[in-house]
Amino acid sequence: MSVIQFKNVSKLYQQGENQVLALDNVSLTVEQGEFIAVIGPSGSGKSTFLAIAGALLHATKGEVIINGKSLNELKPKDLAQLRLKEIGFILQNSNLVPYLNVLEQLLVVKRMSGKLVKEDKEFAKELLQSLGLAAKMEKLPEQLSGGERQRVAIARAFINNPSIILADEPTASLDSKNAHEVVQLIAKETKTRNKAAIMVTHDERMLEYCDKVYKMEDGKLKRDDSFSF
Amino acid sequence: MFLAIRELKHGKLRFSMIGLITVLIAWLVFILSGLGNGLSTLSAATFKNMNAHYVTFEEGSRASMSRSLLSESLVKELENQTNVTAASAMGATMGTVFKSASADKVKVDVAILGITPGSFLEPSVIEGKPLQADKPLEVIVNDTLKKKGFKIGDTLEIEGSLEKVKIVGFVTNETYNHLPAIFTTLDKWRSIQFAAPGSDKGIEKPVNAIMLQGENIDPEKLNKHFKNTETVTKAAAIQGMPGYKEENGTIMMMLAFLLAISAFVIGVFFYVLTLQKSNQFGILKAIGASNRFLGKAIVSQVFLLSSISIVVGILLTYGTALILPDEMPFSLDTKLVVVYALLLLVVSILSSLISVRKITKIDPLQAIGRME
Repeated sequence: MSVIQFKNVSKLYQQGENQVLALDNVSLTVEQGEFIAVIGPSGSGKSTFLAIAGALLHATKGEVIINGKSLNELKPKDLAQLRLKEIGFILQNSNLVPYLNVLEQLLVVKRMSGKLVKEDKEFAKELLQSLGLAAKMEKLPEQLSGGERQRVAIARAFINNPSIILADEPTASLDSKNAHEVVQLIAKETKTRNKAAIMVTHDERMLEYCDKVYKMEDGKLKRDDSFSF
Repeated sequence: MFLAIRELKHGKLRFSMIGLITVLIAWLVFILSGLGNGLSTLSAATFKNMNAHYVTFEEGSRASMSRSLLSESLVKELENQTNVTAASAMGATMGTVFKSASADKVKVDVAILGITPGSFLEPSVIEGKPLQADKPLEVIVNDTLKKKGFKIGDTLEIEGSLEKVKIVGFVTNETYNHLPAIFTTLDKWRSIQFAAPGSDKGIEKPVNAIMLQGENIDPEKLNKHFKNTETVTKAAAIQGMPGYKEENGTIMMMLAFLLAISAFVIGVFFYVLTLQKSNQFGILKAIGASNRFLGKAIVSQVFLLSSISIVVGILLTYGTALILPDEMPFSLDTKLVVVYALLLLVVSILSSLISVRKITKIDPLQAIGRME
């Protein structure tokens, strides 16, 4: 079942008198349990692609469908709800809240959607356990290593049981050992929890964990079959 | 509350600094309100205490006892008017008294108030016995004179007059024009006030004002009916006390400034914090936090911090009240303290709304952070 679908999506930026075509007629479908990677040089439109997939930016043309719902029809408030419920973000610098401990980083997301129940706490603990953070639950971000922080960010992305995981250069600030570990974990959680995951990266070492690789160049998205596993 | 409390705990130093400023401001607000309350009591307690609704003055006196002179015969006529349930005259003069035949002569400034014994203008004594119409040499005095060494049975001499009177009772919280009040009969008061021949301007049985009871009195009608009089509400008469408006105005102005300052200090502090954290807020928004969720975090933070600071300020104020010298006109009114505490709280919460407004403008796209 397709979780997220891009249908002929284009994005046009107005820069002074010039128009920049950041996305050019992009079509893509990601299925449940599928982990895809989007690679490409900087300025190719990767970030725009991710922002549109993450309901942070509207497409100029075409439509994005998440779980059968077209984003074009949603109001800003509904988009925030959609991001909360259906999308898990993993950002490049983990971007944790500095004054919350590891467990609270997950619980605050739960609180955004209302009351915190006992099951939420248990699920958060289970998630942290499966990511190898059982001993770190009371720690603040500043007491964690870069790899650990990124693992907390992964747990945070999964806490609301979203259908899509979007990872934006999740390995950018990690050494290669930690980088491998983090992407492995994203792949593992995506498979076991049956999510659809999109990772934007330019780290080609990480592509072995992905099911499909797409290449972005000048706003055009193409399947890259040179990476086949 | 979740984010608010955790951030407060995490940033103890920075939040306790802003808390301290709020404490100081709150402290000052409460001290000023106590001072204002004390001053206005000192200035007009006798007027505030009296069980009257309206006061009749001479026309043109602009609600001031010292400028007004009426004849006591008006009391009877006023009492016959519709809606007037009772009327009673009062006279006031400032004087200096001292204990006669005392080794250490202590002079005290007082307000000598002439009233009709047994009327509604006579305050009840807390010690001794009340005034009696047939004993014009007896007076009842405010208990602040006790601290100056006066007691029941003492004979008082009045400076600039041959009159001598005896203290027979004490009343409490009766001050007039910043001075402790001495109550005497109208006749006695007249003999002190109009000792010089002709100073009564030929008015028969002169008094300064006539207090009226009756909630439905129509002052317009009375003004028309009695030429050469003006009837005002008790509140207006209090405003007419010498210096009352000016003192209150000054204190109110300072309080208003303080409230404005606290609004700005708290508002700006949280606004700067919000600017600093705009990236963090952007990320939380990208994850799905609504404006409402983040706004609530800020408002509840301001609410918590302000409430704690205000409570500390109140405690400090009551502590200060204990060590202030007795002569300071300082009296805390619980009602006023509550009003100013709520006012401070409301002002600080309103000021946090500029931060909330800022939050609604933060673009979650910032989280992606590298839009080309």
